[in-house]
Amino acid sequence: MAELRLSMTQEARTVLSDLLRLIAPAAARVSVNRANVPANDEEIAGFWVDTLSAQASEEARLLAVAFASAKGDPAVILLPNEAQAHAFLRALSAVRFALRDLVFADITDAQLENAEDLDDESLPTEKRHALACYACFGLLQQSLISQLCPEAFD
Amino acid sequence: MAKPKLKPEIKTETLVSAAPKWNVVVLNDPINYQAYVVVAFMSVLRISAAEAKKLMRAIHAEGRATVWTGDRERAEMLSLELQQWHLNSLLEKDG
Repeated sequence: MAELRLSMTQEARTVLSDLLRLIAPAAARVSVNRANVPANDEEIAGFWVDTLSAQASEEARLLAVAFASAKGDPAVILLPNEAQAHAFLRALSAVRFALRDLVFADITDAQLENAEDLDDESLPTEKRHALACYACFGLLQQSLISQLCPEAFD
Repeated sequence: MAKPKLKPEIKTETLVSAAPKWNVVVLNDPINYQAYVVVAFMSVLRISAAEAKKLMRAIHAEGRATVWTGDRERAEMLSLELQQWHLNSLLEKDG
């Protein structure tokens, strides 16, 4: 498989990197908190929590490193193989969930699903900013999937 | 007097009870894109894009769908892997 490329303007890279520095540590915690861990077996529950926590932390680190090392204008992130691309996709999903739980807790699921229709003028600046980043992370996922597995789209 | 030899009739039967099956259920969520869910299913469940899309559409339409049924150990592993993809999965005993 050819390496996968994600490109964005230098300005977008800076804005998204700044947000990631704030949200990435929480993203791992949110992933574990949201998980449906089996409650009836302590040993299995412990294994799940450890597994989810370790993976989420590692993927948050991968995301932070990828954004920090994206060079040029447009800034380009290179992912050398499918495994890294999958990890990157999962990490972006974790960040979107963290934003949902920590920043958009007062926005309904239906509103968020149609975020482009949201009257964002009524939102405070930091929330508008986070919403734009949330959409950008989603666009990066879509771009990656279109290279990795175009047949996943309808 | 010799005691009569009793030949007890012993019947044996083996009862085979099948281990219960477990369903891996995935719930709809408003965060993950449909194409992302398809890629996750293809990777975790080792199914084609067409099968993955069918499951994804069922979840979108019904709010949930059973994506795999079988023994408990494998079901637990698949549910964990789906949660590593940040999908809202849970285990339910079949029937």
